[in-house]
Amino acid sequence: MTSDQPWAAALLTAYPPDWRARYGDELELLVADLRAGGRAPIPMAFDLLCGAVAAWLTLERRTLMSERSRNALISVLWSWVAFAAVAAWFGHDLAIYPSAPQAHQIGLSHPAVPDAYHVLQVAGAVGVAATALAAVAFAIDAVGYARRCRRRSTIAAMAVPVVIAVAWLGGTRLLPASSFTVGNTALAVGWLLLGVAGIAGSTQAVVTVIRSAEFAERTWRIGGVAAAAVTSAMVVATGATITWGVVERASQAHGGDTSGWLIVTAIMAVTTARAVIALISARREPAGKPATA
Amino acid sequence: MDLTEPVVLVLTSLADGPKHGYALAKDIEDFAGAKLGPGTLYGALSRLEDRGWIEALPSEDRRRPYRITAAGADCLAKHLETAQRVATTGLSRLEPRSTA
Repeated sequence: MTSDQPWAAALLTAYPPDWRARYGDELELLVADLRAGGRAPIPMAFDLLCGAVAAWLTLERRTLMSERSRNALISVLWSWVAFAAVAAWFGHDLAIYPSAPQAHQIGLSHPAVPDAYHVLQVAGAVGVAATALAAVAFAIDAVGYARRCRRRSTIAAMAVPVVIAVAWLGGTRLLPASSFTVGNTALAVGWLLLGVAGIAGSTQAVVTVIRSAEFAERTWRIGGVAAAAVTSAMVVATGATITWGVVERASQAHGGDTSGWLIVTAIMAVTTARAVIALISARREPAGKPATA
Repeated sequence: MDLTEPVVLVLTSLADGPKHGYALAKDIEDFAGAKLGPGTLYGALSRLEDRGWIEALPSEDRRRPYRITAAGADCLAKHLETAQRVATTGLSRLEPRSTA
């Protein structure tokens, strides 16, 4: 900061801290340049004060708007992560359930079983694609925010999911295959629980970034569209899972207990309902005054 | 989207090429006769950057230049076309009075 115009430096403290961190140096230099060009100080000082008021009002409006989007997005994110973890675990071998030859026979006599499985796969792909799209948009904004406002903690939080994924997947590859056999149930379950804890920790890190960084309106819109796509995929996938289970049971090919399917369906239904409610609540809140640039 | 006058002046100035704060203030004073204060100018710059209509370039001696983006140029063009229609209509409607 230059000290040519100490009164300007003092007036800049009236601006929001993030705004000052981004534009403060440039603004102070501009004041010095305008003074050197003969501009009177009192009108400039008054203009700076008006600018500070406007910056706070803009910040407040943006905070209100982004708070609604933030809360809805975070609810959908947690619901989607829980949903995806359960659906992926449950659905990865449905195509060959209860065994590959039996699944083939069931598919021939009950086409709804493989159809439901394929719908589940497509819904999962749509959800993952929407999440990836939103993640890129939010990551770009978060990096920009961290650089502008010198927030290393934002970058650190963004690195958490990557570090956890690399560590867990790397550990899975490094551990010998015999570690996950029936004789080593404790290790396999422990490693799986570690993975679940890693997913929860990664999600919390992403939530921290969403809560602490600032994002452009365009990014919130992308997030809103992605959340709607993910929620739609969850609704469809839950329907497909229910259909698969009902038809599978009706085929009477598998006489085992239905508790696993019921528990999974219940978790999927609850997380889907939570995401739907979050989106509807965000839309029901009154919209603010149209933005002006 | 309503555009405030400082925003239109800043976008119009940047349509000519990248400029830093002082160059913007001088250019606007030259072509529009408006003396934008530093708070007004940077308020407009921050709103425009938020909307992605301008972008900051690497700083030269701590004076950071800004340039208009394609989205900003598009928005300015639409706004000026509307303004031109309004100006043409208004002037043509005033003409009979001034000649009467």
